[in-house]
Amino acid sequence: MIKVLNVFKCHDKIPVLADVSFQIDKGEVVVVMGPSGSGKTTLLRCINGLDTYDKGEIFIEGVLVTKQNINEVRKNIGIVFQEFNLFLHLTVLENIMLSQRIVLKRSFDTARAKSMDLLNKVGLLNKVSSYPSQLSGGQKQRVAIARALAMDPKIMLFDEPTSALDPEMTGEVLEVMKTLAKEGMTMLVASHEMSFVKEVSTKIIFLDHGEIVESDTTEKMFNLPSHERTRKFLNNFITKQVCYTKEYPVEKQK
Amino acid sequence: MDFIVKESLLFWKIIKFLLPAVPSTIYITLLSFIFALILGLIVALMKLSHVKILQIIARVYVDVLRGVPLLVQIFFIYFGLGKILKLSQFPAGIIAISICYSAYMSEIFRAGILAIPKGQNDASSSLGMTSWQTKWHVILPQSFRIVVPPIFNDFIACLKDSSLVSIIGLRELTRAGREFYSSYFVDFETWFIVGLIYLIMTLVLSKLSRYMEKRLKLP
Repeated sequence: MIKVLNVFKCHDKIPVLADVSFQIDKGEVVVVMGPSGSGKTTLLRCINGLDTYDKGEIFIEGVLVTKQNINEVRKNIGIVFQEFNLFLHLTVLENIMLSQRIVLKRSFDTARAKSMDLLNKVGLLNKVSSYPSQLSGGQKQRVAIARALAMDPKIMLFDEPTSALDPEMTGEVLEVMKTLAKEGMTMLVASHEMSFVKEVSTKIIFLDHGEIVESDTTEKMFNLPSHERTRKFLNNFITKQVCYTKEYPVEKQK
Repeated sequence: MDFIVKESLLFWKIIKFLLPAVPSTIYITLLSFIFALILGLIVALMKLSHVKILQIIARVYVDVLRGVPLLVQIFFIYFGLGKILKLSQFPAGIIAISICYSAYMSEIFRAGILAIPKGQNDASSSLGMTSWQTKWHVILPQSFRIVVPPIFNDFIACLKDSSLVSIIGLRELTRAGREFYSSYFVDFETWFIVGLIYLIMTLVLSKLSRYMEKRLKLP
């Protein structure tokens, strides 16, 4: 459960987040939408403490996030970045094992077994000993998802996970995310992928200039957005994206 | 013919005289350089820390040690501090080279650490690693690969600069060369051989550097 209460953040006197409040319950899949520069990334980064905010409170699983307990809180939240941020000096398997070994102090065998499970889930068992530089964008992002899942997070944050990918590769990543959503993971996703939004999201938050313009269930947002700004944005995206929301199945294992 | 035989014999004599001093040069260089690496890493981490006072100490340390000639540092530590602390030649020489080179090392390490994209830090913190765990497991292993060539560059410089400690009477290759010269007065041949031995050692280091670079290269 995530609870964000009146969060403000300014950068050089320009508001990045202005009075942002919302709540995400267990099992909800919430999508944050908004034009670039609207504060989506900052919001996600504030939630797991990668960015600081000036005012307001954020609760994760009922615990107020502070500088002191941030490392504890982070064990409950996984984040997937737009730029993957895989550890370049480690193989795929080592990438997924590292934090399990160091932070959760799992034994080598447990961590390895867990990693293999997750790699199977994201369809990359055949890439165990590859280095990130040898993977395609879509594969990298799937490894990044597996790496975050290895910590058994209760909440997953996705920061535009498909924006750095070729349209051809977004399908395989979205497929993994959809599976995750259907399994009941609590998710907060910054994304404009309509296929994902329509199929699995329960709620949409529309952000502009750091403010929540509108926030409602997906169904309502698509059918009758009350704000002109939201309507314009959604229309724009729906028409633009239809051309490449083809489905790509996740690679099958041999 | 006579000349060639005479010269060869002379060269052989010089080499026989100098070779026992080579391990000493290697020993001084290695020991100083290992200390310089450790100190340099500590200073680099201090400079990159968020604690203001550590940053200032590190900055002053680097500026001073980088700005004073090594030879002067050797004199200062041996004749100046050495008198007070009762340092003999060997520790004084090692300390002087170590701290001088640690200033250079720290700048190399700092550049290597700063070259790692911020996203690596984000990723490992988001997985719950502390900043030390992040540094140790994520940042430093990647920086290490970047800094290998410049570190070997300084390693070679350090080997050559180890000749400076001959001035305080530490017996190593250059010192041995001077001893030979002052007993036999053959300057050309003596310094030719001394130079050649240094050259062979530095060439080995260059080769090792290239090998390490290749070994550590990620696919």
